[in-house]
Amino acid sequence: MVLEQEIPRFAAWIGPALLTFLLTVGLVSLFVGLAAWLVQAARSGPLDAGDRVYRGILTGLRDLAGTSPGRVWALARLAIQEAVRRNVLVVLAVFALVILFAGWFLDPASVNPGRLYLGFILGASTFLVCTVNLVLAVFSLPADIKSKAIQTVTTKPVRTGEIVLGRFLGFAIVGTVLLTLMGLAGWAFVVRSVQHEHELTAGGLQEIRDDEGTLLGYEGRTGSGRGHRHFVRLDAEGNGIAENTQGHRHRITSRPDGGEMVSTVGPAEGLLEARRPLRGTLRFLDREGKPASKGISVGAEWAYRQFIEGGTAAAAIWTFDGITEEAFPEGLPLEMTIRVFRTYKGTITEGIHGTVQLQNPSNKLRSEAIPIVAREFTIEELRIPRRLNTVLADGRVQEADLFRDFVSDGRVEVWLQCLEPAQYYGVAQADFYLRLGNGSFAWNYAKGCLGAWFAMLIVTALGVMFSTFLSAPVALVAAVAVLLVGQFREFISRLFQSQLTGDATIAPGGGPIESLYRIVSQTSITLELDPTPAVQAMKLADMVLLAPMRVAAGVFPSLSALGTGDFVAGGFDIPGDLLAADAAETLAYVAAFCIAGAFCLRAREVAS
Amino acid sequence: MPSAASTSSNRPSDADVVVETRNLSKIYRDFWGRDKKAALKPLDLEIRRGEIFGLLGPNGSGKTTTMKLLLGLIFPTSGEAFVFGKPATDVSKNERIGYLPEESYLYKFLDAEETLDFYGRLFGMPPEERARRSAALIEMVGLTRDRKRQLREYSKGMTRRIGVAQALINDPELVLLDEPTSGLDPIGTREMKDLIIDLKARGKTVILCSHLLADVEDVCDRIAVLHQGELKELGRVDELLRVTGITQIRAGGLPPAAYEEVRAVLARHGASDVEIGNPTTTLEDLFLEVVRDTEARPGRRARAAATTPADGK
Repeated sequence: MVLEQEIPRFAAWIGPALLTFLLTVGLVSLFVGLAAWLVQAARSGPLDAGDRVYRGILTGLRDLAGTSPGRVWALARLAIQEAVRRNVLVVLAVFALVILFAGWFLDPASVNPGRLYLGFILGASTFLVCTVNLVLAVFSLPADIKSKAIQTVTTKPVRTGEIVLGRFLGFAIVGTVLLTLMGLAGWAFVVRSVQHEHELTAGGLQEIRDDEGTLLGYEGRTGSGRGHRHFVRLDAEGNGIAENTQGHRHRITSRPDGGEMVSTVGPAEGLLEARRPLRGTLRFLDREGKPASKGISVGAEWAYRQFIEGGTAAAAIWTFDGITEEAFPEGLPLEMTIRVFRTYKGTITEGIHGTVQLQNPSNKLRSEAIPIVAREFTIEELRIPRRLNTVLADGRVQEADLFRDFVSDGRVEVWLQCLEPAQYYGVAQADFYLRLGNGSFAWNYAKGCLGAWFAMLIVTALGVMFSTFLSAPVALVAAVAVLLVGQFREFISRLFQSQLTGDATIAPGGGPIESLYRIVSQTSITLELDPTPAVQAMKLADMVLLAPMRVAAGVFPSLSALGTGDFVAGGFDIPGDLLAADAAETLAYVAAFCIAGAFCLRAREVAS
Repeated sequence: MPSAASTSSNRPSDADVVVETRNLSKIYRDFWGRDKKAALKPLDLEIRRGEIFGLLGPNGSGKTTTMKLLLGLIFPTSGEAFVFGKPATDVSKNERIGYLPEESYLYKFLDAEETLDFYGRLFGMPPEERARRSAALIEMVGLTRDRKRQLREYSKGMTRRIGVAQALINDPELVLLDEPTSGLDPIGTREMKDLIIDLKARGKTVILCSHLLADVEDVCDRIAVLHQGELKELGRVDELLRVTGITQIRAGGLPPAAYEEVRAVLARHGASDVEIGNPTTTLEDLFLEVVRDTEARPGRRARAAATTPADGK
């Protein structure tokens, strides 16, 4: 799976994150307070305005402190009743329809059907529940204000914060119920969809014998199941595996039955998993074996993966930390995702050959090369045994122990090299990892749904906040706009950095005005513009435009950043640190939106 | 401009003063902050505990605006309003207030029981008290049979009744009623007026606004007459309605033959514009009498149509 940024330890992340949050909240509050004072000052003079703003803030804070859980729950119940009686549960029927279509149109013969089904189900659930909750949230309060029902609530001892919190809580509960039901239905759909069986008959196997006619084993292919077949290698007793196809394999056992061998193909393995990886850090050597900051670009716009040239000294080297005998008593279970870039076609049905070696980071002792074959779109598994050979300086081969000879202070290096000249291996840091073990897939799926739940909570709070001071359609547009800007916050951040530093490689193409100019003049984004006064002015204007966008992008939530569906679909356990950070981020956004909503509602006349 | 307010700049210290406004005004502005309409010109008012106070005036005179300012639903452009000695925008004052809005703006997807339960929860009432009070109020407003129907199915009169019930769920000390008889039939109107009088008898303070003069006259102790956002008249109803220079004599059992004799006596004392005859009842009294009689004697023509108070019925 793609992991563009390292997942920081939650304990190390939370401190700076909290500081950033408080700083942002402080700055936004200051800005809003100043704006409120300016508006009031224009109407009733600076002193009176100051007094009003001060009293408003003080009363607002006092109201927040006096929030009653009982009243919040009463308003939450009302929101739930409203949602239920407006037939919000119809969305479940829509989801059922989505599943139906998924069953018809998703290709079971795809490269990795588990990933496809899981990605689709989690994506559809998130989209549906977020949409429903956004619509509920933005339309509810404006409808109350329009129908004046809000007047019978605000004339009771109800704080505006309780109204906002009650709405949020009510719709969040509705969303949670919907998501739970969708999650369960989705789970059943995925598990049923990927389950399959293969038949293996004696006719599908060929005996392998040595020159003396001794039976060494069998080779062949399984029968078709869910649109695919597996290549099979069995030993002389008929036991073995159906090799990795579509992201899974099967164990095969055989028993003699009346002079014939009857083989049984076991259930799919590796299809719905929650791998727990131990990831290392990646560095590169160039074609001459000298350290390089990155690999070769093969022209792909997405520079996530860097490439190493085959048949040269170029290598990708991962350094793993925390390697102990206790953690890996049977050797190192290395798993690899390797992209292949071919400069000539070669035998397209075969992979590209390469090697993996271990090296001691301290004394540079290196193991003998272990041959591998890189195939596209599959995770290659390689168990590096406890006993390895190493070639000494005098050319002698000597057996060495993995932990004693190659691991130093818990660290070991894994070298990847491509053997075939003019072919390339493409890798990213997250592509090589040691498998620490397996988590429960069911629990991982639940954690994936938790990511969708976080997104739903943020969307709901955002919708409720906008609905406190905007009409329903405008609130809907505003919320969608915020979510869209948040979705591109990484890009906007990089774009701003690119403009600030003048380094076009960070985000080529420039800001909005330069991009428009490039579109109109049909100038490629990789082409540097001549630094004429007009271009300088254009870049300056872009900076002015990008500065507020950068600030907004830093504040607005990114739902895709919260999504953990890729982990589940990719078969990786969602790290607890990531989940904790997402939970903290969600809490921060929800709290900020609810408090902002409470102040906005307090500042408006609900009966005017 | 008539005024009944204290001139003190402090909050009212008199425990009997329930509502006080000082130079309270409201000007609605457009998006650019320009004055659009002066809904209420500076108003000084003092309402005391236990009285029924009527805000009277034609449509757009500022009655509802005054009430919304007292409830904190809108903010004053200038001046201040205090309820129970607290600023009108202070939420805690609402603990002691009941409010019936002009058109009973309630949640249509709830039924009567759920409605009262919801509002009861907002006052933090315990479940048993909520249930007991809801049942009593539903009984009081005559909706027992319809308590499980969603409000969207209610008629305007029924909605008004449940609106009254929600206003009284917390047994408030101050009840604000905006056009309380709006949408009610004559029987409902009479029941509403009886309820208002009953509230006064239980020591509650009632502020109502209406443009139905008869309703105000029947129940209010004091009234304020507003016109174009300005206070035009303020005082006790009986004092304001008293017509000086004309004497009214009412007598029962006087035969028509005695009319001339009475007229002669009055002429001897210099009376002018003398009128002697039978007084008329109100249409409301007549209607209620017909309904009561019909319910007592189904299928018969009502007797009330042929009777007058002078006949002794």
